[in-house]
Amino acid sequence: MSFKDTWVKLSHAIREIQNKNAPKISFEENHRYAYNMVLHKQGEQLYSGLKTIVAEYLDRLAEERIVPAFPRASGTAGTSALGSGAEAVERAVEGDRFLRAVKSVWDDHVGAMLKIKDILRYLDKGYTTQNGLPTTLEVGLVFFLSHIVRSTNHPIHTHLVATLLSQVQLERDGHTIQRSTVRDCVDFLLRLDNPERLGGRSVYATDIEPEFLRRSAEFYRLEAVQYLETGDAPAYLRNVERRFAEEADRTAHYLSSLTSVPLQALLVENLLTAHLQAIMRMPGTGLVAMLDADRVPDLRRMYTLFLRVPDNGGKDALRLALRESAEARGKAINDGAASSADAGMDVDEDKDKDPKGKGKAKAPSAMATALAQALRWVQDVLDLKDKFDIILDQAFGGDKQVQASINEAFQSFINANPRAPEFLSLFIDEHLKKGAKAKSDEEIEQALEKTIILFRFLSDKDKFERYYKNHLARRLLYGRSVSDDAERGMVAKLKVEMGFQFTQKLEGMFTDMRLSAESATTFRHYQNRHGAVPFELTVNVLTASYWPQPIVATSSCSFGGTLKGATEVYQKYYDSRHSGRRLTWQANLGTADVRVRFKARSHDLNVSTQALVVLLLFEDVPEDEVLSYNEIKSATDLADADLQRTLQSLACGKFRVLTKTPKGRDVGANDTFAFNDGFTSPLARIKIMQVASKVETPKEREETQEMVDEERKHQVEACIVRIMKDRKTMSHNDLISEVAHQLSSRFQPSMSLIKKRIEGLIDREYLERTNDIGVYRYLA
Amino acid sequence: MADTDFVLLESSDGYTFSVPRRIAMASQTLRSMLDEDSAFQEAKDKTVRLEYRGIILLKVIEYLQYKVQYADFASSDIREDFQDRIDPYIALELLTAADYLET
Repeated sequence: MSFKDTWVKLSHAIREIQNKNAPKISFEENHRYAYNMVLHKQGEQLYSGLKTIVAEYLDRLAEERIVPAFPRASGTAGTSALGSGAEAVERAVEGDRFLRAVKSVWDDHVGAMLKIKDILRYLDKGYTTQNGLPTTLEVGLVFFLSHIVRSTNHPIHTHLVATLLSQVQLERDGHTIQRSTVRDCVDFLLRLDNPERLGGRSVYATDIEPEFLRRSAEFYRLEAVQYLETGDAPAYLRNVERRFAEEADRTAHYLSSLTSVPLQALLVENLLTAHLQAIMRMPGTGLVAMLDADRVPDLRRMYTLFLRVPDNGGKDALRLALRESAEARGKAINDGAASSADAGMDVDEDKDKDPKGKGKAKAPSAMATALAQALRWVQDVLDLKDKFDIILDQAFGGDKQVQASINEAFQSFINANPRAPEFLSLFIDEHLKKGAKAKSDEEIEQALEKTIILFRFLSDKDKFERYYKNHLARRLLYGRSVSDDAERGMVAKLKVEMGFQFTQKLEGMFTDMRLSAESATTFRHYQNRHGAVPFELTVNVLTASYWPQPIVATSSCSFGGTLKGATEVYQKYYDSRHSGRRLTWQANLGTADVRVRFKARSHDLNVSTQALVVLLLFEDVPEDEVLSYNEIKSATDLADADLQRTLQSLACGKFRVLTKTPKGRDVGANDTFAFNDGFTSPLARIKIMQVASKVETPKEREETQEMVDEERKHQVEACIVRIMKDRKTMSHNDLISEVAHQLSSRFQPSMSLIKKRIEGLIDREYLERTNDIGVYRYLA
Repeated sequence: MADTDFVLLESSDGYTFSVPRRIAMASQTLRSMLDEDSAFQEAKDKTVRLEYRGIILLKVIEYLQYKVQYADFASSDIREDFQDRIDPYIALELLTAADYLET
């Protein structure tokens, strides 16, 4: 048999295989033909013959099966809507039919090639590999690429790419497509490799993916714009989330998983990165609205989606917006508090000018509103904090960075309210004070725990300390504390926050109270031995340095008769127990129970010590006689402010034990007072409160500020000296930053304050300038 | 795998050998021929006609059996050398058959 005959038979067999007639063919026979041809150096002829047959076969299939299945106008389909309803369904079906045709050709071809490869086994063994040529199977793939996918005779390539893309597009538009068909086509395109000289990547990667990504980008860019126009941020985010899931699903199910990464990046880019601000600031539905309505799921969605934006861009933007929002809310609270607090003060002042004295009843109520305002401010801030805490926890997964941003916002607006330290202390006062709303220990504990959180945000901690000391002093001295445990608990909390130094004085106050209580007992024993005081006397001995300035500030007051005797007894007793200590009597802090006989009946009055002193004056005054303001003043030696307040409470308050002439709310230097014998009241025990404000008036606030500033000067100086003593020499900038750092836990010293203090210390020769510019040296 | 699945190998001089499929599959060429997925005539009929004499085919089958038997052995553990069983007179013909059948 000649080689020519052999080839005729072999080529016939190959065609039969392609026509699926393999069972009619003897493998052994044809294998032997191929074996012999290769063995007899006819490999090249066999190889080229094979190529011709494969090419013919593929061309025929393209003509017969693929071209008739071309969908109409698929090449023109862009990202624009692919029609709707019936048309879209039709397109989907057509596309599917075409893809199926291509796929069936692929299946048949690959099936045939696998058999041909087996028959021509010896060709691969003895010819192609030895000559570095593509093996039989590879020839099949290469020819499929050149004769079908990139056919030069038919526009198969255009149709294939367009159809694949339009199928995806149809699905994106909500239509149903046969995913399996697309999957199959993508699969074989992934298996087809470009020739080595074109980079050898899969045809899918070179021909489909770039176009797919381009179309996707365009589609989503448009979709983003359209959706943004609807102005519904939650809906937009839901859509984005859905799209992410869909595209992930798509790449997993019928595209290459390699496409997933660039596709997701592209989604992030077009749907999120470009529109972060637009989404968050969407009026009525954006971040602020979500926060308003506590829409945790929406916020969580926003957070998780924004996390996808590269380089933390999304999260940073979210943090910034959150911070702004929190600050805006805080500012609103501040504004509310400031305006109504001022309003309260204004009412107060107006009233003073009110000639009819009607405002008397209003006066305490204005104070009360101011107090309520302070409490509401704290409560509002706490509520806001709770709100953000919940959102942070539930929507943002407790993200530390987000938390930091929120905290910054709180810090900034809390410190933007200059009265924050006072309000905070008032809030604590309200909770630790007896007689306020009945609260359980847990509630108090909870409230205090929260205030500590706000306390952390406070930068003027020294100012807070001052107010807290004042309020604590009042609670302790007037016995208003709800419980000692709660007080100590609070101080312990502050201690944890600020350290021993911060609470040292507060604890000193507690100690004073305890020692005073103890000494009351011993004083009773003392009285048994040395003669008793004609009334019950309880003395609180306060260590001047622990207690706030205004409280221990010497207020002159001369005690009359009995009181004087009593104080002398106590003085003796005290001297007998402690030497070298000086007692100063503070009439402004104590209270006294005194029984007064009026015409109708006797009443027990609970008055301040100062009021007692005034009342005692009238003990000796005959009926129908009066004392002038100046007489009282010289007899009691009280300061004008104190005296006026005391007289006001006795003559102008709710219970008028004294009568003032002329009548009126204010006490003037020319007024005269008489004992009101005709006083009646249904109550047996009457508590006459000092007219005293709880919330500071603007003037008091100024004074407090001045005192705080003064104290800060000392602290800054002490700090500078401490540092310089340690370092000996230091540059100006280092010194300033070190001082600012060391004091930051108490307050934020300004640059100019530190500079001035350095100047002051140089003047007083604690420091000197060195020859180096901006370097100081410590002078021991 | 129970050796119930047999294939027939026919020689050019009219001998027919019934061989377990497992043994026949040790030859790459026979494996391809009998691959049921490819579905060639041979696979359908479970019969392969080979252009070799019966005596050669016998030795080929003997070798395939030997190969399967020691497939999982390390070469150092094989004590029996198949060369000892080959009759020098048929050696050349056997060699071409071996090449063709990819044993």
